[in-house]
Amino acid sequence: MEAEEVSVIFNGQMALDRVSFKLSSPFFTVVMGPNGAGKTTLLRAIMGMVRPSSGRINIYGIDPARSPGKVLQIAGYVPQVINVNLHVPITVEEVVAMGVLAKVGPPRILTPRVRSRVEETLEMVGLRGMGRKPFRELSGGQRQRALIARALIRKPRILLLDEPFSMLDFDIKCEIAELLNRLHTEMGVDILMVAHEISPCIAFQPTIILLNKRVYAFGKAEDVLRIDILRKAYPGATELPAGVIIGEDHG
Amino acid sequence: MVELLALAYLLAALSGGIVGSISLPIVMSRSVMFALTLLHSILGGAILGVYLNTVLRLGLPIPLIAALTAVGFSILTAELVEKGMSEDVATALSVATATTITIVFSYLASHVSSTAISTAWGYVMGVSAIATEWDITMAAIALIIVAPTIHLTMKEFRYIAFDEEGARSLGLNVRFYRYLFYSLVSAASAVLSSTIGVLVTHVVLAVPGALALRIGRGHTVVAYSSSLAVILLGYFLARVLGVPPSGGVGVVSVSVIIGMLMYERG
Repeated sequence: MEAEEVSVIFNGQMALDRVSFKLSSPFFTVVMGPNGAGKTTLLRAIMGMVRPSSGRINIYGIDPARSPGKVLQIAGYVPQVINVNLHVPITVEEVVAMGVLAKVGPPRILTPRVRSRVEETLEMVGLRGMGRKPFRELSGGQRQRALIARALIRKPRILLLDEPFSMLDFDIKCEIAELLNRLHTEMGVDILMVAHEISPCIAFQPTIILLNKRVYAFGKAEDVLRIDILRKAYPGATELPAGVIIGEDHG
Repeated sequence: MVELLALAYLLAALSGGIVGSISLPIVMSRSVMFALTLLHSILGGAILGVYLNTVLRLGLPIPLIAALTAVGFSILTAELVEKGMSEDVATALSVATATTITIVFSYLASHVSSTAISTAWGYVMGVSAIATEWDITMAAIALIIVAPTIHLTMKEFRYIAFDEEGARSLGLNVRFYRYLFYSLVSAASAVLSSTIGVLVTHVVLAVPGALALRIGRGHTVVAYSSSLAVILLGYFLARVLGVPPSGGVGVVSVSVIIGMLMYERG
């Protein structure tokens, strides 16, 4: 996957400024940066939901700006859990099944075959037997797993995750990171996630893209997570004996 | 007399069916604000229809003009939302325009006919307890179109309401479904406004959906049964109290909301 001098402008404001990076599959990559850094915009541009003002993205040979439909066929997107409307009466099974039912026309019936695929996928993410539960009754970590299952049921080549650790306790964040690493190593799914915090997945040696409108650093954690580099993207970063404070996670 | 009563209750039942079909998706997708303000467009369209019929003697069916105006404004709202405007702002713009139409044409109509304003107000208040065959036909057509379409696409509406961005990423045509939903709500609201009145449609649209979501299971059954109960009981109460049907439906709707709140509090 390659981004070449990608710029995105919203209402005259620069959201991404000549962003360039190149990732070779298989990759486990975290895009980190402060609020308003353009992280979600980058994900949306990769999926073809936002058209770059200039520059080019290439994902497995596809230009998302020209063929967004093709990217959506190979990419699984996991939105922020906080963007989900919990008032809607919907079961876990229905959420996950939509991953496959979206490919067919109405009335999109849950056939026994789809049900069994859903159950298999739920097992894969550690939610076995929870299909009939209303989505809103799940815990934060379980909701995140269900959304990952919805993306996974489409057998994607790449998972694009927007803040998968937000609003979760640290041990749950680590469980989600472990799940993602397992999907990466055992199923060969490439991972590109946006996160404020990378400590839950630091053990898996992700590639890090440090973004604040433009790319300030790109590489392994030991090369990127240095105070002199972090201060460029996080002007308020503070060094303490025990580590570096760069900001506050959502929630 | 018996036949007139039967027609009135048949119309009430059809209206209940229409409300039952659209109320749940309206509440679920947090479009109550849109649905309520849509009624301003219907009112604007109705007043425009009254004016055109008075001045130009066109003899146009007012519900049709009201429905077309509402569909027009809802498509405008949908397009503005699709272009990135927030739903609140897009709705406010539509309401402001529709309300301006209402005020201007009410004023103009009052100058050309002494009965124009009372005709328009009849539409607002839903004062007529008499159901004509035309009313029954309109309500039946609306029910036949709206209810099956809503049920056929309920999964999509529910899914978009649950996670719009996720729905887009799965390849669902969110724009199409938004247009379809807004158009169905417009058509249903226009027909309801011509039968039970604009004001009571305001009240009754959200009640069955809210009740169904509060109860938490058997959503569709609860939405339909509560909608039928509210409107039929409302018609009955109106006859007992000697007020317009809209008054009876309003009293029952408010009672249901208060009952729901009391039940929730313990």
